[in-house]
Amino acid sequence: MKTEHIRSGKGLRRRRFLALLGGIGAAGVAYPVLPRDRRPRELSLREADFYRPHDLAG
Amino acid sequence: MTAVACELCPRRCVIPEGGAGDCRIRVNLGGKLRATTYGRPSAIHIDPMEKKPLFHFHPGTSVFSIATAGCNLHCLNCQNWQLSQRGGEEMEQIYRADPPEVVKAAKEQGCKSLAYTYSDPVVFYEYVYDTSAIARREGLNNTYHTAGYINPKPLRRLCGLLDASNTDLKAFDDGFYRRVTGATLQPVLDALVTLREEGVWLEVTNLVIPTLNDDLAMIRRMASWMRDELGPDTPLHLSRFQPQYRMRNLPPTPAEALDRARREALDAGLRYVYIGNVPGHEANSTYCPTDGTLLIRRVGFMVVENKLTADGRCPTCNQKIPGVWK
Repeated sequence: MKTEHIRSGKGLRRRRFLALLGGIGAAGVAYPVLPRDRRPRELSLREADFYRPHDLAG
Repeated sequence: MTAVACELCPRRCVIPEGGAGDCRIRVNLGGKLRATTYGRPSAIHIDPMEKKPLFHFHPGTSVFSIATAGCNLHCLNCQNWQLSQRGGEEMEQIYRADPPEVVKAAKEQGCKSLAYTYSDPVVFYEYVYDTSAIARREGLNNTYHTAGYINPKPLRRLCGLLDASNTDLKAFDDGFYRRVTGATLQPVLDALVTLREEGVWLEVTNLVIPTLNDDLAMIRRMASWMRDELGPDTPLHLSRFQPQYRMRNLPPTPAEALDRARREALDAGLRYVYIGNVPGHEANSTYCPTDGTLLIRRVGFMVVENKLTADGRCPTCNQKIPGVWK
């Protein structure tokens, strides 16, 4: 009876849903701590807009 | 593995090989101290001189302003924390700008002055020094906006190239410095005296934060110290606090509190006390301390009227107004 239940369409859909949920959870935990190449964008002075409004103090 | 000691600021960080100092940008590479942001500013803007704020130094002119990431203070209320509380590699963008390129760009834009500002130029000292030396040779002025947390020897060396400084005096209380900025008061007072002794045009900014440093007795002590040690002609800018960064629990400074603080500072004997971050306030402008004539009228950071004579005197009573006017 138990095996039949797991192989039934209802049980399969539930297992797939739980697997998907687990995958999303694992990705959410792993993403912030994965190493990423986030080097700053390098620009020349010619590319600078010196008159761009800004909110820096000083 | 050779550790290096950074002698630039009173923190005197001892940095292990491959490590960084408290400011994040001064690092030990192979036993040598290096500033990772040398020639790599993250902010470059052309601002009015009044924005620094410098009110008695070439009023109404534009200043080519640069900053790199990093700071040796960690103020809970830092307005520029996205620049100051990061290392160079954490920035979204960085410009490649060696000192000669900076000076060339400033001249091309018609600026007569450079400002090292926004974060604290103390931490990108070598970049400031080399750029200032070239700017001086090219006839440009060097201005500095700093918290003044620097050791005397490097400051004196830099003073030979500086024309003006707006230096923060964040409170006249060592406990405030320790709690709010992570620094200490005495080195800042020493730096202010050094700037004065070395003949750099000096203005002072005090950000008035409700309940933390707005006590009138403390304002009085600060103004009296300035009068005695820096001279009564040293301009003081009392600035309005806005909730920022990690200090969002306090309200903006009420205009009345700034007015009270200004009266206290004037009563203590300072002759030029301004109110900042309150656009349109009458204390944005400069008045003759002898007869009260309105000399320079400002709206926001704009000079809308300048009645000073060519040699910097009051047109009514001929009182000499201290400053660098041309």
